[in-house]
Amino acid sequence: MSETADIQATNDEAVQEDTPKRIPQPDKITNKDLMKSWFGWWWANEVPHTFDRMLAPSFCFGLIPSLKKLYKDHDELAKAFQRHLLFFNTQATWGGGTLTGVTISLEEARAKAMANGEEAISEDMINNTKVGLMGPLAGIGDSIDSGTVQYIFIAIFLPFAQKGNFLGALLPFLCFSIATFIYGYYLTKMGYTLGRNAAKEIMTGGRMAGIIDGLGVMGLYMMGILAGQYITVKSYLKFDINQKTFDVQKILDTIMPGMLPLLTVVLLYLYFQKQGLKITRGLLYLTGALIVLSIFYII
Amino acid sequence: MHVTLSVWQALLIAIWVALIESRILGFATLTMRFSPLMTGMMVGFIMGDIKQAMIVTAAIQLVYMGFVAPGGALPAEPSIGAAIAVPVAILGHMSPQGAIAIAVPVALLGSYLYQFRFFLNTFALKSMDRFAAAGNARGLGFSIMVIPACISFALFIPLIFIALYFGAPVISSVVSNIGHGTIIHVLNSVGGGLAALGIAIIMQVIGKKTLLPFFFLAYFMSVAFAKLDINMTIYAVFGAIFAIIYVMLTQRNTDKG
Repeated sequence: MSETADIQATNDEAVQEDTPKRIPQPDKITNKDLMKSWFGWWWANEVPHTFDRMLAPSFCFGLIPSLKKLYKDHDELAKAFQRHLLFFNTQATWGGGTLTGVTISLEEARAKAMANGEEAISEDMINNTKVGLMGPLAGIGDSIDSGTVQYIFIAIFLPFAQKGNFLGALLPFLCFSIATFIYGYYLTKMGYTLGRNAAKEIMTGGRMAGIIDGLGVMGLYMMGILAGQYITVKSYLKFDINQKTFDVQKILDTIMPGMLPLLTVVLLYLYFQKQGLKITRGLLYLTGALIVLSIFYII
Repeated sequence: MHVTLSVWQALLIAIWVALIESRILGFATLTMRFSPLMTGMMVGFIMGDIKQAMIVTAAIQLVYMGFVAPGGALPAEPSIGAAIAVPVAILGHMSPQGAIAIAVPVALLGSYLYQFRFFLNTFALKSMDRFAAAGNARGLGFSIMVIPACISFALFIPLIFIALYFGAPVISSVVSNIGHGTIIHVLNSVGGGLAALGIAIIMQVIGKKTLLPFFFLAYFMSVAFAKLDINMTIYAVFGAIFAIIYVMLTQRNTDKG
């Protein structure tokens, strides 16, 4: 059945959703548009956060400039706005950057097909791509950006802060914000060029696995240094046997220096391993234990 | 001497917190929110004691190493904790470890406040839907950015201002009157041990058990070399070199296999 015949046939009925409809030719998407959309998402990121839509409005906000270039037809533009206000939640750079690019490339393909009267990518296809990829990409992004990169910068500059220098706050903030903005933009561009295969590329590329491992080594290494330098747990326990004073901390130091701080971290780590990452509970238990032990001057 | 915050100091700190917690500065607010450092720095500028503010904030930071927010809800708001605890510590001449004991409960309360914001933002959804259906890009952008931002400002500025202006001097005078007894010892011990929390969380977040030896390597390096007073940048260089060697070796093995 040809498209025109199809349209004539359904003339009197309700037009089906995915029936191609002629719309004006879209403008070409340039790097500048991708930058605008990435910046829009980056800026709005968690401003309109709600429990029922999560970050969908921010994603939609980023897409506005690109969608306006693609859909010159008023109804189609409104429909595009509406479909990107549905539930969406992901991490900002690896998830949001990549998916901003992927979505623009899909929307562009849809708008072009509709303008040429060809069969277009359906709305469902666009939504499913977004929703299917948002979770796995967010997992990667959370552990790389907020879990590792951020704290590597903080760990490096922490000694400045400890000495009372404000650069200890400013430098990690600047490094993290600039680095994530730049690679987020590259992820947006990559998402756009690779279209739907983009996320697969990120997740299966051997190079990526290497980068993640490398950041993990670096992150754990820096945490080891911090643990050794800044956790202060020591014993104040002393007792007299036959007029000889035993100072527990001194005895522990002769066995292995830094035993108690390490023990504290390892116990907490094992707790999280066993119980899952229940941070608030870990915090309460640890505080409780420290209070009890310190009241009796055991530590 | 009666120490207190001026109206302007309290108000400026409250506005700074609202800027961060409304997220109106974009994704740059992530590290401002997860880490107390930038807030501590601003408090230092506003109160005219940057040095002490940074020393206190650095101690608070250790508790919150490794905090991530899967799905956007953080189990604590370190920047709110710092906004209250750093002024209290400066006014009351407290030790950094003692300040931690104040920051932790405040940050926990702050996380409920942040989640309350998600609920309030729901009121902006109706106008977003209406503008989207009308294809009105300008109205849509307005309702996505301006309405939620105003909601956050109306929520955070008054609350933080009241807590600082009326609460901070009270807490700090109570703390400084306690003197140096058991309570101070407990506060300092709790603060010193809580630093372990953030580090344990990062170990869990990075999640690869096979990489844990690098943690222990670093721990014992820093204990063994403590007297050498090695610069953190040097340690970071060591870390980067170990990372590169590790990746080169594992990549080669997978290429062979």
